[in-house]
Amino acid sequence: MSIIYVLIPIAIIFVMIGIAVFFWAVRSKQFDDLDKEGFSILFNEKPASTTPPADSTPPSREP
Amino acid sequence: MLQQRCFHCHEPVPAGTDFHCEVLAETQVFCCAGCQAVAETIVAQGLSDYYKFRSKAASKANAIPAELQAQLTSYDSAEVLQDLTQQVGDAQRIELSINGMSCAACAWLIERKLQQNSAVQRVSVNSGTARCELVWDAKTAPLSQILSQISELGYQGSPFVADLEEQNFQQELNAYLKRLAVSGIMTMQVMMLAFGLYFGEFSGIEAQYEGYLRWVSLLLTLPVMAYAALPFSSSAWRALKARQLNMDVPITLALYYTFIASLYATVFDTGEVYFESVCMFVFLLQLGKFFEFRARKQARDATSNLLKVMPVSATLWDGEQGIATSARRLQSGDHILVKAGETIPADGLVESGISSADESMLTGEYKAVSKQAGDLVLAGSMNHDGILVVQVRSALTESRLGQIIALQQQTLHQKPAILEKTDRIARFFVQRLLVIATVTFCAWYFWIDADRAFWVTLSVLVATCPCALSLATPTAVTCALAQLNRKGILIKNQHVLDVLPKLSKIFFDKTGTLTQGRFSLTELQIFTPLYDKAQLLNLMANLEQQSEHPIARAFSPFFQQALPLENVSLSVGAGLSGVYQQQKLRIGRPDFCGLDPQDPRLAGAQVCLSINGELAATVQLADQLRPEVSTLIPALLQRQLKLAILTGDASAAAPAVATQLGINELWQGCSPEQKVSAIQQSVQTGETVLMVGDGINDSPCFHAAHVSVALDSGTELSKNQADVVLLHNDLQQLQTLIDGARQAHRVVRQNLWWAAGYNLVIIPLAVCGFVSPYVAVIGMSCSSLLVVSNSLRLLKS
Repeated sequence: MSIIYVLIPIAIIFVMIGIAVFFWAVRSKQFDDLDKEGFSILFNEKPASTTPPADSTPPSREP
Repeated sequence: MLQQRCFHCHEPVPAGTDFHCEVLAETQVFCCAGCQAVAETIVAQGLSDYYKFRSKAASKANAIPAELQAQLTSYDSAEVLQDLTQQVGDAQRIELSINGMSCAACAWLIERKLQQNSAVQRVSVNSGTARCELVWDAKTAPLSQILSQISELGYQGSPFVADLEEQNFQQELNAYLKRLAVSGIMTMQVMMLAFGLYFGEFSGIEAQYEGYLRWVSLLLTLPVMAYAALPFSSSAWRALKARQLNMDVPITLALYYTFIASLYATVFDTGEVYFESVCMFVFLLQLGKFFEFRARKQARDATSNLLKVMPVSATLWDGEQGIATSARRLQSGDHILVKAGETIPADGLVESGISSADESMLTGEYKAVSKQAGDLVLAGSMNHDGILVVQVRSALTESRLGQIIALQQQTLHQKPAILEKTDRIARFFVQRLLVIATVTFCAWYFWIDADRAFWVTLSVLVATCPCALSLATPTAVTCALAQLNRKGILIKNQHVLDVLPKLSKIFFDKTGTLTQGRFSLTELQIFTPLYDKAQLLNLMANLEQQSEHPIARAFSPFFQQALPLENVSLSVGAGLSGVYQQQKLRIGRPDFCGLDPQDPRLAGAQVCLSINGELAATVQLADQLRPEVSTLIPALLQRQLKLAILTGDASAAAPAVATQLGINELWQGCSPEQKVSAIQQSVQTGETVLMVGDGINDSPCFHAAHVSVALDSGTELSKNQADVVLLHNDLQQLQTLIDGARQAHRVVRQNLWWAAGYNLVIIPLAVCGFVSPYVAVIGMSCSSLLVVSNSLRLLKS
């Protein structure tokens, strides 16, 4: 059981990292608008300025 | 055939139009050139993903008139920019408020579009508050270019300066989020370790591991106590310093007592530890406070566009041409040009030009006031139909508008105080709890069993832990806020729900609140056999369409179909003329129509129509009551509420409205200062006062009343300052609001009774030492759960 002397401190370090990341996210305004961030994954990263919009949905039915 | 709907805004496509565009590989139809242009822009920029993912239809895009485009360029003046932006490196930062946003996809659309502009360094659109934060290089791209790019997408952007209060709210919300995260994550960790200790209790645990787990729990609880619980302890400390007791005092007391007891148990390896209870308690309280605060912040954001009232830009006139400048920099003696439809940027005297101005926001007078050389115009009023050259008499801060805003800042700190009920209960509760705990400790220490004294006192404190008491009000208030929000009632101050059940008197503003605040047609008399009533009204509506005057808008509901009118011309302050089927039409004042004003047929008429110089019809206009008012007033009187009308209107219209509604108390011709003192008089006689208003002149007395309500159709300033905003523009919602507050009040009382009853049972048991601390924790959690679920009932009703 003495393994918990190692594992719990490691777990605490992970918790600290998690909280630090959360604080950073709050500071960089990621929680200001929860609706928009939820949508952002749906849109293309790069605006397809020259390519026709049909490219943005590749419903590849081929095996 | 099924009515076709516009692909962009989902409004019906009018027959006989043909606007189409290829979107997402399919041809789509549109209702107007505006929507079509927007869709073409979106497709051309490769942003058509917007149409795939939007969750709501866009608002109808009107093509931008050229004059509006010209207005945008006034924002490019260096002086205006300096007032609106902050320097970030060699770029400018500005906040824009955006009109016409309906869903998160709109935010994405605007961001992408602006990112394609090379001058834009950073852009972030918030879909919740409809604000856009923009950092760009003003030297390469003027602000007007960016604003017109936004309007190409069918939205209207306008510069906006967040007030200090709003910035504080945002910072506080972020602090809440961080505290919530710390207490939540730590609760999970400590709970995990606590389970190890629970099982150890039953199946045995080696002393070294037990000690280790306790020390780790202590370590993890430290940030919760030192950071997440800080608001409670500092509020309790403030209260104690002021020799007062509030709800945070027993919370802090229980937290510290439990924590210190567990600390003692850990260090000296004796007794029990309750770190998980400490963490959980803090987390639950933070969660409730966070939701309540967020609901209030959203309500506040939705209504805080103060700067929109204050005119931003002005046009300096040197006799030949206009130079755009910032309205704040106008000096006494400057000459300015005010175009039709613009907000007048400063108080001053008209030098030349004829027009009429809408001063209803400032004075409560709904009729447009005609303005010509020598007349006084007021900053913040709207210039209707003519062009004016005005000599500025005082700078914006000393103008009537500036004075009203200053008056309102003064009254801000004079809000009549009502002692919060929970604070009174807290005082009662804490005093007795402290006495009981001290007596218990002394009794056990000196007479019964000195070893158990500390732990029995702990179980008294934990069992009575004011969790249920302190959750009783906030949970009920939060649920009631959410429920009223859903019905379109925005509540910005939490005390509203506290005060409303005690309400005894309501003050109504007249213009725009009880009445519609605009002309509507009350009587039509016809003197011509040529047309019937509907045809005549349509004809008049067609003519009046060319005018921006408020009288003209009274005819717009009667517009049925477009008629081929020729030679339509507008005479400012007199009327309109035109030719229809070879007949000369004139609509407006009697002398303009070529009629004799002494003609008995014209008695009481404001507008006449003449055909070839012959009288055809007369129209009477008046500011009519809102339709819901006639049922609302008797309902309110039935609730034993006193009603009063408080208006700036000095005309005979005010007593007429009062008698029609059966309201006995009437204050008319009031300046904003007199309105404030009228309400303060009532407050001093012990009434609990609610004020309903819509104008700038009402906003100072909003702070004098206990509760203030504004309508969504009101001015931005009044909505900003009011405690409550009725979004559906329906005064009937006043009743919904009062009912909602009463219901919340009932639930709070039930919660308090339960919490008090539970304490009455558990305290004697705990004092006698029958309640082990574990049982105390379970009892505390159960009573808190009960309180929370009772409050949740409010959401369903």
